[in-house]
Amino acid sequence: MWIRFRKILLLVSITLVYVVADDFKEEIFIKPLPPTNLYVYFQFITQNEETSFEHSHLAPRSLGEIMSRYQVDELHLTLTEGQWRHNKWGYPILDASSGAELYAWFSPSVTDVDTHWRKLSATLSGLFCASLNFIDNFNTVTPQMAMWPMGAIKVNKNVTSQLRYATLPREIVCTENLTPWKKLLPCESSHGFAALLNSRMIHNTNYHSIGVHVRKICKVEDCSEINLEIKQTVALVYDLKIINSLDWSFRKLFGQGLPGPCPLSSSSKIYVDVSSNDTFPFKLNPLPDSVVLSQRGGSDTTLAIYNIIPTNHMINIGAEYGTKDKVLVTIPPPLTFNRYVLGYGKEFGGIVTEIKNNYWAPIDIVLLENAPWWLPIQLSSLRINGEAQSKLVKSLYYSPGRSRQKPYHLELLMRLPSKSTTTITIDFEFVFLKWQEYPPDANHGFYIGSALISANLPTARNYTSLPVTGSTMDSIINASKPWYPAIFRTNGAMVSLPTPDFSMPYNVICLACTVVALAFGPLHNICTKELVLKAVGSPISLRQKIMNLFKKKQD
Amino acid sequence: MLASASFVGLLIVIGLPLWWKTTEVYRVSLPYDKISAFNTQAHFITTELTVLANDEKTAADVAELIEKAFKDYDVLNLKITRGILPENLRRSLDSIADEQEAVEEVGGAFDLTQHNKMYVVQRSPLFQDVWLGTERVVFFRDAKAADTLAKVLKQWIYEPTVLRGARSETADSTRRVRFPPGEGYHVVLSVVHPRPQDLKVELNAREAVEDYIGSFVDELDMLHNFTLKSQWLYLLNFDFQATEVKDESEWGRHFAVREERLHVLLTALEGRAATQVSDLPTLNLALYILPCAHAPLIIYDSENKKVSSPVQAFMSPKWGGVVFGNPAPADCGHTSATTPTWSPPLPLIMGTFIAQLRELLGITDKANISGAHVEALRSVTPRRWEVDTLLRLRTLEQLAAAHHNLHSLAQLLGEISNIVINDEVGASINSAVTSSESAGEAAARGELLAAYTTSLRAFLAAESAFMEPSLLALLYFPDDQKYAIYIPLFLPIMFPVVLSLKNLILWLRKKPQVEAKEKTD
Repeated sequence: MWIRFRKILLLVSITLVYVVADDFKEEIFIKPLPPTNLYVYFQFITQNEETSFEHSHLAPRSLGEIMSRYQVDELHLTLTEGQWRHNKWGYPILDASSGAELYAWFSPSVTDVDTHWRKLSATLSGLFCASLNFIDNFNTVTPQMAMWPMGAIKVNKNVTSQLRYATLPREIVCTENLTPWKKLLPCESSHGFAALLNSRMIHNTNYHSIGVHVRKICKVEDCSEINLEIKQTVALVYDLKIINSLDWSFRKLFGQGLPGPCPLSSSSKIYVDVSSNDTFPFKLNPLPDSVVLSQRGGSDTTLAIYNIIPTNHMINIGAEYGTKDKVLVTIPPPLTFNRYVLGYGKEFGGIVTEIKNNYWAPIDIVLLENAPWWLPIQLSSLRINGEAQSKLVKSLYYSPGRSRQKPYHLELLMRLPSKSTTTITIDFEFVFLKWQEYPPDANHGFYIGSALISANLPTARNYTSLPVTGSTMDSIINASKPWYPAIFRTNGAMVSLPTPDFSMPYNVICLACTVVALAFGPLHNICTKELVLKAVGSPISLRQKIMNLFKKKQD
Repeated sequence: MLASASFVGLLIVIGLPLWWKTTEVYRVSLPYDKISAFNTQAHFITTELTVLANDEKTAADVAELIEKAFKDYDVLNLKITRGILPENLRRSLDSIADEQEAVEEVGGAFDLTQHNKMYVVQRSPLFQDVWLGTERVVFFRDAKAADTLAKVLKQWIYEPTVLRGARSETADSTRRVRFPPGEGYHVVLSVVHPRPQDLKVELNAREAVEDYIGSFVDELDMLHNFTLKSQWLYLLNFDFQATEVKDESEWGRHFAVREERLHVLLTALEGRAATQVSDLPTLNLALYILPCAHAPLIIYDSENKKVSSPVQAFMSPKWGGVVFGNPAPADCGHTSATTPTWSPPLPLIMGTFIAQLRELLGITDKANISGAHVEALRSVTPRRWEVDTLLRLRTLEQLAAAHHNLHSLAQLLGEISNIVINDEVGASINSAVTSSESAGEAAARGELLAAYTTSLRAFLAAESAFMEPSLLALLYFPDDQKYAIYIPLFLPIMFPVVLSLKNLILWLRKKPQVEAKEKTD
């Protein structure tokens, strides 16, 4: 009897596993950033059991279609508005450069990566209504040291050559990008946490970033089977100072309460980082289901966890602060950076990147500078703390740009000494563009994309990213590691290129033609007309007769 | 005077070519004469028909009648061969009771695998006048069945009216339904599940598509490449505006939805089904699973009559089909605490999808002919002679479309002088012209497969030439801009030169007279 029952159980469990082949999870992570900001991070994770993209269950077919057509192994796309302030806010879970950022690893079987890359960006541009179609060879680099795949790849394979990275710093992110992004979710925006993503509210924030990250993850321990993970993220930073109250609630932040979990998700959890409760005491309402202390890399984080189950009413989680107006001394994270443009006039300039190591041990970083072709940077002008030859640089990669074909690309592997500031300066000269190459509103200025800083942090202070092997927020709990890899984006910059007066060509044409006309008339006259003496008694022409008539009348 | 003549000469020698060269729009030379000589209406397809009867007279009578029936259709050139059944085959045909076995007997004596070749065979012990199976064989009883036979050939097998419709420029009723020709299609099955929290659906979409639709489209692989896909769309709520009607069924009710309302569902589906990312045209098949609270749904047609079929479904021409999955009351039982599970009746649902696919791909419904019998489809695969009909139909349609495209392009080039034709477009136009010529010849010779592939090539080349974005490169360059640059330069130069022309002409006229005078002097 028992055996039979077990058989039935086995059968049932097999069919169950079969039916729920795909797995969908939704999570929100909320972290107050004292004194006045609030970081809200959504992540929607779909794990696709199917290795082929033709048949999809919870994973979006449109994305799968693109991934399979262009043989993409790993894809990261973020659309961001605003600037993450690392020194004030600490580190985000996933950093993104402002504007649009796209990078992808193609499958090793792809030989013509550039063509696939261009087609990929053009297709994604259609899918997300973003101007990713402007990505071309002239703004694409292949990072050599700064980036590594997040997903499961075969070791001892050269994946760098299959990588392409591009940013469009000028891209403006708005509702038209959010709507197609929501359509990729299995629950769309009608149910679950995505119902909170009300474009009217989230585009009013200080910083908002939406992203799609597709990678391969191991299904089993030895990685013999591989799953596909599609992670959709939204990062928001609210400035509570604007509403003049530190108290926040879902209704205040998103304009409505949470209607409940997505019926397709296997787990719907909300994490609130309550570590700042000691300095800025606040009370969560309703009370969390559990509170977990996470010790990670020498820093303690207390997380309040809500497990959202279907209810009949709207869930409205909020926090009420006790004392107001406290002065706070923020401890900066281990690595902070700043970037600005030097120079005056329209001939030469320079980019300065300042990196500050606040930690008591040296930190190894890779800095990737990526300058467009119209801003030629010369390696000879590279100065680190004012020196041309610096001991800090362990390795260097430089790929000069080519006009209208390739950007300038500089990568430095450096060891930053403890408690120090390193200044990296590189000069550029301004280039004249052809008149058709200027963007609309050329006097607005030209954006330079962010530099990438890839670091292995020795401490997890202010570090919120998930470990590489984890995909849900609970993987950060007690996840101590020897180091904590992170890729940061510095702030972008803007230069003003020499911009001509765009009516000039027509003015020149008019002026030149007038000169030609003025010169040609007399020349023609002199050449073709001759002075002929007129006989006295010759007959008077009609015109002369009329002229004579007038003369007589005047008399 | 020589000076002003030299100015005029200089202007003509240097100025005019300069103007010509700088305002020229790049165009490769095209075979305009060939394009304008195209006559779509002249295309026809030769096809072979073998009449085999027990005696010479029957064969002659039947063949004559068939020939007469097809006399009016110039789109089809029927090549009829007459013959007498070999003695042993005739005997076995007369003795075998089962029609399927009889077909196999014929297959043993004649080659039935060739496209474009039908056999009309007499078989005396037939219950009907005419019998038609899945192979390229038609049985008829005797000479009296010749009229029915001609009807069968005309309405079921060769369908000359449909062929004529494919050749013409106006769309007939079948062309309005079927997809335009193409190299390949995506077939996407979308399982729409509006309330996953209330009902668990046990359905393996991947296997369903691959098993049922896969074996159907495999038979059509000489026509198109098919890619099979499936997806699930959850929480797509659609308000059918259905009214609840009490009835005698298990449910004790049904929801009546008007036919006109259904097309709004397509809009909702289109928003989620992600059809726009495919690089090929997509045939959409949607299985809409009704929530238990709104089941069963029954479609009412425009005359307010129930659509009575085991599966409620509708089709949208050139888009795809929708099938409604109505769970039974037992599946929706609320007795247990767990969510109920329903496994849809796959053979029924997929059969409906295949019936829709057949029409969307161009296989017509066979109307009843009295005295004639066509074997019902036992498996999902199409009948062999249906594939041949499809090949003929698509060949003519592709040829007509290619000609139409080239004609329009040539006409546009004549009307709009700003269109650029670069080398690539020129090459594809040339290849379209040559392929369509050879396809027409192959069709006239009766080489059906070759005609199909070359006509597809012609169609694709013409389509790509017509749709090439480089044609538009200069289309929006306004003429006034051109004049804004040339007029300020040329007008001041032209003025004195043109005015001096009068003097020049006078001088030229006077000159011979002066010379003549001098001579007389």
